[in-house]
Amino acid sequence: MISRTKQWLEERRCAFRRSPFGCLVELFLGRMFRGAGDAEAGELDLGVGVILVLLAMPGLLVSLLMLEKYGSLIRFLSGQGAVDPFRAALPDEYLFIVLSVSVTGAAALWRWDTIFLDRRDYANLAPLPLSLGAIFFANLCALLALTGVFTFVANGASVVLFPIAVVGSRPSLSLFLRFAAGHAAAVFAASFFSFFALFALAGLLTALLPPSAFRRVSLSIRFVSVVALLILLATSLTVPDLLKRLSIANAHRVALLPPVSFLGVARTVWAGANDAFSASMARAAMIAVGVSLLTAMVAYAFSFRRSFIRLPELADARPMARISYFLSLLAFSRKLPFRSSTERACYHFVSRSLLRSTAHLQTLLCFLAVGLVISADAFAAGSHQFSTGPSAVPTVEFLSIPFILGYCTLVGIRFAFEIPLDLRANWIFQLWLDPDRHDARSVVRRALLVFSLSWMGPPVLLVTWAYWGWMTALLHTAIWCASLLVLVEMLLIRFRKMPFTCPYPSFQSHSPLLAVGYLFGLYIFKSWLPELDQWSVLSPINALWIIALVVSAFAGLYWYRNQMLDMDKRLTFEDLSRSTFL
Amino acid sequence: MLEAENLCKFYGSVMAVQNVTFTLEPGQVLGYLGPNGSGKSTTVKMLTGLLQPTYGEVTYHHQNVHKDLIAFRKILGYVPEEPNLYPHLTGEEYLDMVGTLRAMPPSRKSTRINSLLELFSLWPHRHVTLGSYSKGMRQKILLIAALMDNPDVLILDEPLSGLDVTSVLIVKSLIQALSAQGKAVFYCSHILEVVEKVCSHLIVLRKGHVLAHGPTSAVREKIGKSSLEDVFLDLVEDVDITQVVTDIVGVVASP
Repeated sequence: MISRTKQWLEERRCAFRRSPFGCLVELFLGRMFRGAGDAEAGELDLGVGVILVLLAMPGLLVSLLMLEKYGSLIRFLSGQGAVDPFRAALPDEYLFIVLSVSVTGAAALWRWDTIFLDRRDYANLAPLPLSLGAIFFANLCALLALTGVFTFVANGASVVLFPIAVVGSRPSLSLFLRFAAGHAAAVFAASFFSFFALFALAGLLTALLPPSAFRRVSLSIRFVSVVALLILLATSLTVPDLLKRLSIANAHRVALLPPVSFLGVARTVWAGANDAFSASMARAAMIAVGVSLLTAMVAYAFSFRRSFIRLPELADARPMARISYFLSLLAFSRKLPFRSSTERACYHFVSRSLLRSTAHLQTLLCFLAVGLVISADAFAAGSHQFSTGPSAVPTVEFLSIPFILGYCTLVGIRFAFEIPLDLRANWIFQLWLDPDRHDARSVVRRALLVFSLSWMGPPVLLVTWAYWGWMTALLHTAIWCASLLVLVEMLLIRFRKMPFTCPYPSFQSHSPLLAVGYLFGLYIFKSWLPELDQWSVLSPINALWIIALVVSAFAGLYWYRNQMLDMDKRLTFEDLSRSTFL
Repeated sequence: MLEAENLCKFYGSVMAVQNVTFTLEPGQVLGYLGPNGSGKSTTVKMLTGLLQPTYGEVTYHHQNVHKDLIAFRKILGYVPEEPNLYPHLTGEEYLDMVGTLRAMPPSRKSTRINSLLELFSLWPHRHVTLGSYSKGMRQKILLIAALMDNPDVLILDEPLSGLDVTSVLIVKSLIQALSAQGKAVFYCSHILEVVEKVCSHLIVLRKGHVLAHGPTSAVREKIGKSSLEDVFLDLVEDVDITQVVTDIVGVVASP
C-alpha cells in the first residue's frame, strides 16, 4: 500500500515536472535559490545545501541549548522544583519567535533580487508559446514554495526539539502535543509574517518606483531592514527579562513589538480561550500575517505588470547616480595617498567596484549594520554618563563605538573583496600588473584606510575633544588609528590579488574558521581595546605600553611576511569559472 | 505568410521605427540591414510579439499575431541578439526546458535535443552549465532552441555572432536549406557579405525609415553598385570612411 502510494506520488511529481507549468515552477525555484545573475559576477552562490544548513543552524543550536537548560538534572541541581512549563518557557518562546522572524527575514533580504522576474526571464520565456498567466502563477507558486521551505527549514529543529526539552519528561502526550502545536503555530506564523512583509515591501518598491530609482532605494531599504532585524534580535536580551517580571496581561507596551504578538498565538493554543489578552494578541498577529500576505499578493501583481510585461519598453537601468557624488568626494583622496598611475588606476577600480556593485555594497552594508546595532547598544549602555553630568574620563562603552564601527567597516570591505566581479574582465590586470611587485596589496591597504579613517577620524577626534578635552581626544584617536592600522595589516597578511578578481572557492573552504576569527576580533575591538584605551586615558604614561604592543604587532607581522616564500607573495589570478558547494 | 503593415513604434516622443511594410513568404529569406540604432531590434521585437506597435500591425496568414500570440509563437523560432541564458542550467537542461515549455512530446524532444547537440558539436559539453559556455557555444544553444520544434517562421537577430568559421558556414548553408524547405526566414545582421549570399530579399533601414526594399539583386542594380557593401555605404552612411580612419590614426599617434 505504502509503496503503491509512493509510486503514485512519484509519478504525479514526474508528470508535474514534465508539464510546462511544472517546468516553469522548477525553473523559478532554481533561480531563487541560485540567484538571477552569473554566479561569477558578484553573486554569493553557496548552493542549495549550504543555504538550507545556514537557515537551519540558528534554530538547531538554540534548541540544543534548551535541551540543556530544561534538563531535569540541571533544574534539580539549580534548586528548581516542578515548574509550570507554559509559564517558564515564555521567554524562550519569545527568543524562538524573534529568531524565526530574523532568519526568515534575512533569507528574504538575501534573495530579494531573485523574487521578481527580470530581463533574463523575459528574454528566455517571452518568445515561447506561454501565456503571461502561466508565468505569473508559476512564479507565485515558486515563491510560496520558497516561503514554505524557508519557514520549515528555519523552524523545523525547534518545532521538534523545544517541546522535547520543555515537556519531554512529562508523562502526558496531550501536554506535549499542545505545547508543540502552540510553539509551531507561533514560529511558523512569525516566519510567514516576516517573509511576506519584506516581499510586500520589495513588490511595492518595484511597482511604484522607476527602475533606476528602485536600485538605489532598494539598497537603502534593505540596509534599514537588516538594522531592524538586528535590533529585533537584540530585544531577545531584554524582552524575556521584562516578560519574566511583568504579568503578560500588564505588558501592553511590550506587546506592541510584533514578535510579542506572536507569543499570544502560542499562549492561545496552550491555554485555550481562557486568556482574553492573549487571544487579542493572537488575533492581532493573525491579522498582521493576513495583511502582509494580501499586500504581498497585490504588490506582486502590480510589480509583475510593471517589471515584466512592460520590460521591453524600459531602458536598461544605469549605475546608481548618487554614488557618483560620493565618488567625486572621494576623488581628492585618490590624489593624496596614491602616487603612481598604476596605483591610482587600481584604486579607481576598487572604489568604483565597491560602491557601484549592488552585491558588494550590500555585503559592506550588512557588516556596517551589525556595527551600528552593536554601537547603538554600547551608546545606550554608556549614555548614563551624560545624564549624570560631565566626567573626566569617557566610559569604555563610549570609547568602544569607533572601534566597533572601524572593525565592522574594515572586515566588511575585506569580505567584499572576496566576492568576484566579472572574471572575464581580468585580462586587463593580468596584462598590466607586474606579479612580483606588491602594488595590489599597497593599494588595498591604502584603500581600506581611506574608507575607514577618512570618514570616522575627524568625528572621533572632534566629539572626544568637545566632551573630554584635547589630551583625551588625541590619545583616544591615536590609539584607535593604531588599532585600525594593525587590523588592516592582519587582514592583508596573505592577500596577494586584486580585489574582486578571483573566484572564492579557496575563501569558502576556510570560511568557518574566518567566521570564528571575525567574532573573536569583534570581541577584542568591542571590549579589550576600549578598556586598554580607557586605561591609557586615565594615565597617559600607560600609553607607552600600547605603543610597545603596536610596535610588537607590526614587528610580528613583518617577520611573518618576510619568512613567507616569494611564490606565496606573487600576485595571483584564478580564471577558473565558478565553483559552488553542491 | 508573415506581413508587417505600416509598423510604427514610438518610445514616448522618440520615434524608433516608422512605416515599415513588408511581406515574408514561405521559402523566402529576408535580410534586414541597418546601422546601430536604426530600429532593427525594435522591428524584431514587434515581429515576435514582444512589443506592441504604436501603429500598424503584424499579421500571420492575415491574422493579427497579437490576437493569438501563443499560437503564433508555436510556429516561431527566434534567435535573439544577446545570448542571455540561465547560467545555472546545463546546455541539455536548457534545451529540455525549452522543449517542455513548447509542449513537445517527450520522445521527440529528447531525440531532437541529442541529435542537434551532436550536430552542433556541443554533445561533449551538454552537462556543463551555460555560465561556463563561450559566446559561440551559447549562440549554438540559441540556434538549437529556435530550430528544435521545426518552426515555420524563423527570426534570426545576428545569428552568427561569436560562431567559429565552420559553424558560420554550416549556419549559412542551413538557412538556405531551411528556406528551400519552405520556411520563412527573417535575417537581421550587420555582416553584409553573409546577407548578400544568404538573403533573397532585402530591406535597408536608416533612422527607422525603409530606404530600399526588394530582391537583393534588384536593390543592387537600382542603386547602380556592384556590391552590397557599396549599396549600404551609399544609402546609409554619410561619413567619409577614409577621412575617419585618418582622424583615428591621428588621435592615436598624437603625442
